[in-house]
Amino acid sequence: MKTYQVPQEIQDANTLEQKLELLKHIGRSFSVFRIDCGSCNGCEIEIFAAITPLWDPERFGFKLVANPRHADILLCTGPVTRQMYYPLLRAYEATPDPKIVVALGACGVSGGIFYDAYSVLSGIDKIIPVDAYIPGCPPHPASIIYGLTTALGVMEQKLQKVSFEHDGDLPPLVEDSVLGNTLFERDLLVQAKKLMSYVFGRKLFDKYISALTQSGNTKDAKATKISITEAMRVEDDPRYAECMGILHNEIYTQYVSCEEEDKIELHRVKWGAK
Amino acid sequence: MMKLLDISKKYGEITHKYPFEPYKVCENFRGKPAYIFDLCIGCAACGIACPSNAITVQLNDNQSKLIWEFDCGRCIFCGRCDEVCPTGAIKLSEEFELAVKFDKSALIQRGELDVQYCTTCKKPFSAKRLVKYSFDCLSKANVSEKRLEEAKEYLCMCPTCKKTATVATFTSGKEMVIE
Repeated sequence: MKTYQVPQEIQDANTLEQKLELLKHIGRSFSVFRIDCGSCNGCEIEIFAAITPLWDPERFGFKLVANPRHADILLCTGPVTRQMYYPLLRAYEATPDPKIVVALGACGVSGGIFYDAYSVLSGIDKIIPVDAYIPGCPPHPASIIYGLTTALGVMEQKLQKVSFEHDGDLPPLVEDSVLGNTLFERDLLVQAKKLMSYVFGRKLFDKYISALTQSGNTKDAKATKISITEAMRVEDDPRYAECMGILHNEIYTQYVSCEEEDKIELHRVKWGAK
Repeated sequence: MMKLLDISKKYGEITHKYPFEPYKVCENFRGKPAYIFDLCIGCAACGIACPSNAITVQLNDNQSKLIWEFDCGRCIFCGRCDEVCPTGAIKLSEEFELAVKFDKSALIQRGELDVQYCTTCKKPFSAKRLVKYSFDCLSKANVSEKRLEEAKEYLCMCPTCKKTATVATFTSGKEMVIE
């Protein structure tokens, strides 16, 4: 559904040739007008982070202006709520031709998480023609600077459409389990992720498995206890050390027959004694 | 005035040289999810976990391929796909230079996987890789040979046929021993 027809005189004044002509003459003075079309303000915070001295986009002449009539570039954020539909059109029509429209953030590019909500038009490009898209939720200040410099032709676009069409039918190899039962690895990874989230949980999993294999015989509860206790002792981060002990007590004992004394007593182990 | 100059001299120049020099993002930065096609088994866990439906896994029009598609423009970089992926085929990278000009389709990544047809009703229901991966996992999970043979049969059936087949075995009075 096309909600807004761009008037013919604006279309004629905004062809690609005219935009390139504008870029030639404009030199190092780009005025950016920022329109918030119902965004959550995350993108706004990042825009203002991007214009701080830490990033200093005035090196290339970027400057935020307070009026669309002064602007060359429209920086639109948000999924375009019904309330912001007409203000967006007013700002678009008020900007002098030729104008460059940049859609910022996941919401601006395609509606983001609100893409199928009833109250939004999901994306700037559903309403007005957009020249550059900056995805991110919110985009990093460096992404914003990259996007704006790409829009102006200073930097090259890096992303291209990627499509894999040939299925070689090569499923990934399932690694052999250290205990001869992949359910052990499965339970271990689930518990590790539960204890320390997915990023650190995977690291914890790798640390635990390497400590377990160092014991020589993984099915010997006595040897693995010594090996894990040693790994906990030399571990710098107390979180990993404690969680390795918890994993050993909760998961390993389910798969290998252990007695009560084979469990690691967490409060007796001194952490970080390297 | 001199005091101000002293302060600025003390702190030096802090502006990043970014567009002219590469910028290193900090550790654990959540950038664009990188897709490794060779590891993908088409289990659609990422598609279910994705809160903004940036990842879609569906059959194509003539039902010959399973299409995994990721739209970076809709991605909110929450990392849930990374969290649920069983094979590590999708991992958040440190790539932050994602802006594209004019054509939004440059934000799309897609992969086409061969589909597995149900042995009973001949309808496509899953990816071939997923069936093979599930069987490999099961064969290393300490199950008996007899169970494994049974599983091989059931893995190639669509959920509806599987249900029918299970009911049929129960009602026909076959002995089932779960080991």
